[in-house]
This record gives sequence, C-alpha cells and structure tokens, in this order.
Amino acid sequence: MPTINFTLNGKPVSLNTDPTRRFLDVLREELTLTGPKEGCGEGECGACAVLIDGHITNSCILPLGNVSGREVMTIEGYRETKRYRVLEEAYIAEGAVQCGICIPGMIIASESLLAHNPHPTDDDIRIGLSGNLCRCTGYNMIVRAVKRAATRGKGLW
Amino acid sequence: MVSHVIPKTYAEALTVLKAGNHRVIAGGTDMMVRHRAWAGLPPLFDKPVLFAFTLSELKYVKEDEQVICIGAMTDLETLLHHERTPALLRQVIAIMASPAIRYVSTLAGNIVNASPAADSLLALYALDAQVVLESTSGKRILSIEKTIVGPGKTVLHDDEMVAEIRIPKTRFTHTMFRKVGGRRADAITKIGFVGCATVNEGIIRDLRLVFNAVAPVVVREKSVEALHVGHSVKNVLSDTDTLMHHYSEHIKPIDDQRSNQHYRKEAALRLARHFLDTLA
Amino acid sequence: MPDIHQSVPKIDAKEKISGRMTYVADMRYDDMLYAKTVRSSQAHARIRSVRVPTLPEGYHVVDHRDIPGKNVVKMIFDDWPVFASDTVHHVGEPIMLVVGPDKRIVQTLVDAIVIDYEPLNPTFSMTDSVVNYHYDKGDPASAFKAADTTVAYDYETGYQEQAYIEPQGFIGTYDDERIHLIGSIQAPYYVKNAVIDTMACDPDAIRVVQATVGGAFGGKEEFPSLMGCQLAVALNKIKRPIKLIYEREEDMDVTTKRHPSKTRIEGAIKEGRITALRIHIGIDGGAFIGLSGVVLSRAIIAATSAYTVDNLDVSGDVYKTNTVPNGAFRGFGAPQMIYAVEMFFHHVAKHLNVDVHDFRLKHLAKQGNHTSTSGLFRDPILMPEMIERACAMSDYHTKRKAYANPEVYKGIGMSWFLHGCGFTGSGEAEHIKAKIKLEKLPDGLVYLRVAAVDMGQGAKTTLMKVAAKTLDLPLERIRYENPDTDLVPDSGPTVASRTAMVVGGLVARAATKLKKTWIDDEHQVIHEQYVQPDYVRWNQDTFTGDAYPAYSWGVNVVEVEVDKTTLEVEVKHIWSTYDVGQSLDDNIVLGQADGGTAQGVAYGYLEVMRHREGKLLHKNMTDYVIPTAVDMAKTTTELYNNPFALGPYGAKGAGELTLVGGAPAVALAIEMAIGKRVHAIPATPEYLMEVLHHAND
Ligand SMILES: Cc1cc2nc3c(=O)[nH]c(=O)nc-3n(C[C@H](O)[C@H](O)[C@H](O)COP(=O)(O)OP(=O)(O)OC[C@H]3O[C@@H](n4cnc5c(N)ncnc54)[C@H](O)[C@@H]3O)c2cc1C
Ligand code: FES
Ligand code: FES
Repeated sequence: MPTINFTLNGKPVSLNTDPTRRFLDVLREELTLTGPKEGCGEGECGACAVLIDGHITNSCILPLGNVSGREVMTIEGYRETKRYRVLEEAYIAEGAVQCGICIPGMIIASESLLAHNPHPTDDDIRIGLSGNLCRCTGYNMIVRAVKRAATRGKGLW
Repeated sequence: MVSHVIPKTYAEALTVLKAGNHRVIAGGTDMMVRHRAWAGLPPLFDKPVLFAFTLSELKYVKEDEQVICIGAMTDLETLLHHERTPALLRQVIAIMASPAIRYVSTLAGNIVNASPAADSLLALYALDAQVVLESTSGKRILSIEKTIVGPGKTVLHDDEMVAEIRIPKTRFTHTMFRKVGGRRADAITKIGFVGCATVNEGIIRDLRLVFNAVAPVVVREKSVEALHVGHSVKNVLSDTDTLMHHYSEHIKPIDDQRSNQHYRKEAALRLARHFLDTLA
Repeated sequence: MPDIHQSVPKIDAKEKISGRMTYVADMRYDDMLYAKTVRSSQAHARIRSVRVPTLPEGYHVVDHRDIPGKNVVKMIFDDWPVFASDTVHHVGEPIMLVVGPDKRIVQTLVDAIVIDYEPLNPTFSMTDSVVNYHYDKGDPASAFKAADTTVAYDYETGYQEQAYIEPQGFIGTYDDERIHLIGSIQAPYYVKNAVIDTMACDPDAIRVVQATVGGAFGGKEEFPSLMGCQLAVALNKIKRPIKLIYEREEDMDVTTKRHPSKTRIEGAIKEGRITALRIHIGIDGGAFIGLSGVVLSRAIIAATSAYTVDNLDVSGDVYKTNTVPNGAFRGFGAPQMIYAVEMFFHHVAKHLNVDVHDFRLKHLAKQGNHTSTSGLFRDPILMPEMIERACAMSDYHTKRKAYANPEVYKGIGMSWFLHGCGFTGSGEAEHIKAKIKLEKLPDGLVYLRVAAVDMGQGAKTTLMKVAAKTLDLPLERIRYENPDTDLVPDSGPTVASRTAMVVGGLVARAATKLKKTWIDDEHQVIHEQYVQPDYVRWNQDTFTGDAYPAYSWGVNVVEVEVDKTTLEVEVKHIWSTYDVGQSLDDNIVLGQADGGTAQGVAYGYLEVMRHREGKLLHKNMTDYVIPTAVDMAKTTTELYNNPFALGPYGAKGAGELTLVGGAPAVALAIEMAIGKRVHAIPATPEYLMEVLHHAND
C-alpha cells in the first residue's frame, strides 16, 4: 500500500490504507469525523462535501489516492474559522435549516462559492449550490442566507 | 501481486501502464460510482488502479496558432474559467454536473467513459477535437470519432492513456448548444445538441450538427453536412425535411429511465430545425 | 416573550450547521455488527428453498423462523410480514438479514445465498381491490337526473418518492434483556408497539429512541416499524449491538412511496353550476396494504377540496399489486385527489366556455357550508381575501389574458385547497388518545415529555415556544429531548399535520396548569390527555360527519415558461397565501411553505418514478430527479391569521397543506402555456410531446 499524505484541517495526516477507499469512509470511520454525511454515495447530493484546496468536492466518490498531497478541510475544521461564524449567523437568521442533514454540505458549498465569487448574484448562488440537494427547505432561505453572509462578511471572502 | 499506484511523474505512470495491468483513474467521478460497493467498503475495481489525477504535468491549457491543447488531468472547473477554452466547450461544461464534480473531473474521463450521453463530446465532436494517446512506445493522435467506438468502448490499448486533447481553433458565425436533462442543473442528458455554422452572404460555408444520447455513440454525420455546404441558407431552409430525413436514419434513441425514443428523436430533430432557422 | 409568531433562532440550528448533530449513521458501538438485508429478486414467487453457505464464526442469518411473536408488522392494517416466509410479493421484499462484524464478509455471504423461486403470476394492473370505501352526500342520483349536461374526465398521477436526504436507519443494542432501538423515525410508539407484537414480549422490554431525523416527509412514518421489528429479532438472537443503515438505492428501491392513482370524475351541470359529482379514485397500494386504507380515506374526503358541492357519490379502492408497498407521504392521499379536482373544475369551465375564475368562485366553500362528508365548516374561511391577494401579488388576471396567446408558451396556474388537520375522523379520540407530560425539575427547568419528532419541521422550537410563552419563562428554561419511550408518554406519531395543533394544544394546556400550580424548587409533573371537541361527530362506516376538527387553507399561483422546441418547463415564480390559523414561528411556517411547495410543484412536472414488471427504474438520486436550487423558483408567501379556538394560540396544521396545491397549480400553468389539457402528472416534456401530437384541445 502506498502511504498517503495530506493535510486535514490544518494538520498533517499520513495513512497506510487502500487508496481506492472512499474518502468519506476514511473521514467517518478512520478519523471519526462525522460532519460530512452520506446521502447518496454517488456524487449527487453534496451531503458529504469537503473542501480540497479550497474547492468543494464530494468525498463519497473521491478515492483516498486523489487526496494525496492536498489540503483538506471538513466542516469540523471550517467551523473554527471567522467565515464560518458569518455563515452560521446567516443560516440561522434566514431560517435556512430544517432537518439539517444537507447543511454541513451546504456550508461547504457556500464557502467554496464565496471564496471564488465574493459577490454572487442570486443565480450565481443557485448554480453554486446546484450540487447540494435539500429536500426540506426549497432552497430559497438558503440562497438568502448565502446572500446575507456575502453582504455581512465584507472582506472575509 | 500488482497493487494500486500513485505515480510521482507522468513517465512513471506510463511505465506502470506498460504491463497493461492497471486501470487509469482520473477524477474518479465515473469510476467510483460505477464500481461502488456497500458504503464503508472500497469499490470493486477489476484491475489495480493508477492514480493519474495528481499528475501536475498533465494539468495545462496551451495554445499555438491553430490548436488549443488541454492536458488530460485538467479539471473541468478550470476549463470552465480558462480564457483559452473554446467558448462552445465552455458553454457545455457550464452545465455539466455540479461544481463539486467539475473540480475533480476531466475531459479525458468523459471521453474514455464514452457514454452516449456524455456532454463534452458534443463540443469535442463539433470542434473536430483530437485525442493524444500515449504509452511508453509512443503517441497516437486520433480524431474523437475514431477514439470512441461504442458505448463505454474506446480504441485505447491497455498500456495507453489519454495525454492531451487538442482542439483546432475554429470560428463560426452561428453556434447553438442545448442540453435537455431531467432538470435544469446537475442532470444527466436526455438529449443534447450542438449546431455550428458559418454563413457568408447567405451561403452556408460550414455546417456541423451533433447529437448525443440518441444512438450508441454521439452522432455527427459529416457526409450529410457536406451536402449542404455551399448551398444558400434559403435553399436549405426551403427543404429541411430532406435534411431531417437524413438524420432520422442516424438518430435511433432508446427508451430508458430518463426519457423515451419518441421524445428523444422528436426533440433532437426539433432542435436541429430550430438551429437551422436561426441561420436565416 | 414577544408575539408567538415572531421567529427565534431554531433550537437545534447551531448543532446542525456545525456538523455536531448526531444522526443514526453517525453512531457506533465498539463491538458493533452490521446487518444487510437479503431481498426478493422476484415480483411474485414461492420460495422453494434458501441455501445459506456455512457461516463463519460470529456471523448470523436472521429470518422469519427467529421471530418469537407474530410475523407481521403492526400498522393500521396488519398484512406486512417482517420477513417473507414462503412467498414473496414484490421485488425487494426482505427475506433475511445477514449480520456480522466485517462488512466485507457480510456482503460475501449475502452474495452467496441462493434462493430458489417458483414463479407465480404477478399483478401489476390496478384490478385487485383490497379496500373499498364509498360515501354519498345529498342526493347525487337525482342531481344527475336533473342535470342539463354531464361531463367526465380521467386523471392520473405517478409515484413520488420522499427522497429525504438521510436514508432510513437504525442502531440497536441488547442490554439486561431489553431491546433498545435508536432510529430515524417519525413515530417512536409505532415502532415500539410493532416490536412488542413481533417479539411477543413485555412492553417494558422495548425501548425506542428517536435519533435526529434527516428528513422524513411521511417516509419514516410506518416503514421504520418494519426495520425496527427486523432489528429487534436480530438483537434478540445475537445479543450484540447491530447497525442497519440503508444505502440510497436500497432505500429508494424498497421503502414506501406516494401511491400512483387514477381518478375519474363525472360532474352534473345545471344552470352553469356543478350540482353533483361522481368520483372514483383508485390507488396502487403495492404488495401490502399497510396504511393504504387510511391514505384512501384522506383522498376521498378531499373530494371537493376547497369547493362545496351539494351532491356527491365518492368511492375509492386500494388495489394490491406486486410492487413495492406504498404508504405515507406528506399530504397522504390528498395531493392525488386535489390535483384531479382542481383540473376538473378548470376543464368543466373550459367545456362550458365560461370564465374559469368566476366559475370556481361560484363553488368556493363558505363558512357554514357542509363539507364533503356532510360535516360543517364551522370556522371563518378567508379564501376570498386570500385568493384576491394571491391574484394581486402574481398579477394573475393580466397574465392569464396575455398568456392566452398560444405563441408565448407561458402560463400561469392557480390552485385552491384545504387540508384537514389531525387524524381523520375519530382517529385522535379512538386510536391515538394522545398523552403528554410536562415535568418541572427542582432547578426550574421544564421538560416537554412528548413523543413528537422534530424532523426538520421545527416541532421542538415551536412546542418549546408554546410552553415558554404560556409559562412566561425564557426559552432557555424549556427542554425538549429527542423522544425516548422510556421517558415520554405516547403523544402519537408525528404525522397528519397534528403536532402543532394537537400536541401543541396539550402542551399549552399542561403549561397553563403548571403555571397555576407552580411551586419553586419542587419536582412537578403535569399530565394531559387529548379530548375530542364534543362537536366533532364522525361515522367511519358511512364517512359522514366532521372528518377533521379544523382545516388549513391555501392558494398557490405558479408561473411557467415552456420551451417551444423541447417542451421543457421552467417554473418562474410561485406565489402563495396560507391560513394556518396562527403561525407559531414565521420562519418555520415559511420554511414549511417553501419546502412543501417545492415538493408539490415538482410532483406536478418533474419527479418521475416508474417500474417495469415490478422493478423500479428510478432508484437513485441520479435517476430520480428532485429539484436543485436552480430548478426551484423564487417564492412569495403571505400568511393569514385565523386563529382556531382549540389550537395553541390558535395554531392549525402547516406541514402538509403547503404540498397539496403545488401539482395542480403547475399543471394548470403548463396547460395554459401549451394550449392543451393536462390529464396526467408529472407533466414531463415526454408527456407534453405526446399531448401536443394527440390531444385536440
Ligand atoms: C453527480 C454526477 C453528475 C455528473 N454529471 C455529468 C454531466 O452532466 N455530464 C456528463 O457528461 N457527465 C457527467 N457525469 C459523469 C462524469 O463526471 C464525467 O464523465 C467526467 O468527465 C469523468 O471524468 P473523471 O475524471 O472523473 O473520470 P474517471 O471516473 O476517473 O474515469 C472515467 C473513465 O475514463 C478512464 N480514464 C480517465 N482518464 C483517463 C486517461 N487520462 N487515460 C485513459 N483513461 C482514462 C477511466 O479509466 C475510466 O474508465 C456526472 C457524474 C456524477 C457523479
Ligand atoms: S453522499 Fe456524496 S454526494 Fe451524496
Ligand atoms: S434541511 Fe433537510 S435536506 Fe436540507
């Protein structure tokens, strides 16, 4: 087995395990990070999203081998950031959270979107979140939350 | 026992491939889904895997006067925002999958996966793209049509990988791209269409019509296109039925969970007609 | 505390946003085993034999022979086996569990099990009726005789999958001869009671705890009872912690869905009015009846939706087919019927060549009118205002004129609807008999002991607000933990838009009592029990009387644009007005409105599920398409205040109401855009292409 090195939430990690394993399994089972959820296991719903080098990626179809040498941030690391605080406030204020199973992934999608486009239009937001399915909210409150975070988090993104 | 390999260099990758025992994985967005096992267990690959996505040597977009060259491991999101990416290809990529998938998927994967519904193929066929295949014994450069021979089937040898995609620079006066999916974003194509044309003083100088998800492979009929080049738009429009009739023979869609034959065929022909109408 | 409707931060939002919230899939025990279900590959067959390979040490199979009690899942109608024994009735029917510590080996064993089937004749058509209901109102026969003319149309609806993002799952342990189940469930006591029957055990031997639910929409109402029973049998046999989590495909393949339906409506018309309706609805129950009979009753009771028609002959059947069993889904039969009725009123108006809007207004239900089941609309009905407001917000009348032009391919559709709050008829009084407890600890913290489940709809926040406001305490002093049957009495399942109104009502009453009897530093417990309002009379045999104590009302307006070439539908905007009595939290109600409308509208044009020979064709999130943020239109929603005397602060139900009007509104908009009648949903481009070619108007 090749050794796989990467950074996880700012700390170096070195693993000696099958590189074809789903990164989601490695996170949830090996590293007990259960913030990323499994909704579909086929890249469709975004519940398992993590940031790889700052970009949103679905960890359920990401082979561990592809993480080699990259910087990974999960919701567990991201929630310690200033940007997270802004998103958290916005999601709460806009009533954007229902069952919550999609929400860690939505936060990751929101971050990835705002990092690449700090002043998104409504349409940009919808496209940015289009890989994250939410069955509860009908999305509008989430879109408003991202908008609110973009406005209030001036300079952070 | 042969095992999975994460090569440090492209040369190493080709050497590993030489024995023909490894399967290349790029972003894995097709492979990981197709071979998935029970959650918690590694996917069931038929061969050990060669991880290619981290090869930075294959991540580039270059150009010379005639051609744009895209390194095989360039992710789709990069291509979407790259100023050298042909506009038509960019349009197509813009509604492929979702950002999370685009950051980790590749044109090479879309090509070798060879799905009849693959979206980028519409643009690649329309733009006469070429695929550079490489092994330790050298390079082969094939047209996209020659590369893909059936659903999921390509002419790649076991020791070869896609190194680069080359797209000749072409200008058109008219282009149109339409993807019909089950919804407006992140959807698999039910039927897709690209039309490209150059019309000069009412005369069609170049015409390319490409359809996907209507046959085992993407449909582009150069012989049919050639019949109309040199003719006036007026002429062609006065008898689109004949043109449609030609395509009718090649558009042989199937019924599946996403759509049905009747709709696919009808929508495909309506899109083509609609494109021709825009030439007037 | 400010006005109850003013939004507060949702009680569990921070935990959910930060990824700290624990769902059942996130739980584990050290010596935990994994279970995987072996399922039927046949739609209908006798099992000749089952060959199980030699099991390695520590691996087990669990099947019907291990059931100590009844091999049936207790639901409303008890015909659903825990494990198939000699016959299978649908593809995916569970036959046994394979349980063991290493998933790899469990999977190998599952793959190695050989089942020999003797095929039987499957039924896929709606022909084999297993439940039939019928009721009359007034004198339909005479009205039909006296009619100037009669009109009849047929309507069809397809499957809908709940598609909660968290698949179904349980984890269980066996300690001290007790079975402890933790699951993603809507109805802890449904699971507990079902398990008691299957295990033939003392009620105290079973403990069911709700894990945080990642979406349910009815899908986790009765189905988890099946999983719970299976897991209990396994725990009893193996006596080690076991995890049973479905994957997406398995979940979609085998869990209950919204019933496909076929409805025929015949109207008697006299002097420009509908004087009588003869309605028959057939729903496809799938292989087992389960809740289908109850779904059917809600469907037939919704026969006139927001209208009043004096003479009715309404009937319905549940048909048994060799397909996946269908069951509860937000709306519970009403969406199918309300779709058909709304389309019918439009189609009749068109047929009579009269203005649709005026025609519908003539039939709109008014306070004091008799309901479909000859009960009474006792409370004020705000629909005229709500309709006018929805028209004004959406510019409905201008647009419908403009879009009459067949060249524009745009349409605007409006639906009017109601939803009965709580269980149908005497369900609350006779079956559920909801009980709650309010427990005040010496430190002054007040615990809500209710079995109601917060599955995202905000039950915790709203019920806590009700308690806090009534007790005049800050919200922080109220506690509401996920229900644990060891701690909470049975306040009923979290279904039927009953939680805010019924359970909330009990909480308000208990809180009032606690406030009156409050003694500092003491442990106090207040019990409350549901009492049926005495005016509510219901005869289940004749379907007459007050089917519900109260009704919520709504109006949806949907605007679409249809692509001329491909007939793809784009929903442009959705405007709604709702009367849910009193909102207990505006953000929460608006969230229900957005989410419900998204599901309802998508049901009408987007979500496709079919089967071929009993095998579902759309069984993952790629093939079963639900809306993304790009598909979902912007919404404008206004709430009307119309307090219901018996609801807490006047609250009625809001959960299902917001779904039931979506499909007809979007279907009517599409109909306007393409200039042809839509008789089936989902109105996909494929269907519209067919309609354009074959239908005449
Ligand atoms: C949720 C989701 C949505 C999707 N949406 C779309 C969509 O809208 N449109 C669309 O067209 N596709 C879509 N796809 C499919 C997929 O993302 C694309 O086909 C993508 O381009 C595949 O690229 P990849 O790098 O991930 O390929 P991989 O999965 O890594 O590889 C695919 C195949 O190509 C081979 N391969 C890859 N690179 C090379 C190489 N350099 N040389 C030789 N062989 C190679 C692999 O061996 C494998 O057989 C979607 C997938 C998912 C999961
Ligand atoms: S679980 Fe990974 S995208 Fe759904
Ligand atoms: S909040 Fe439930 S799926 Fe998004």
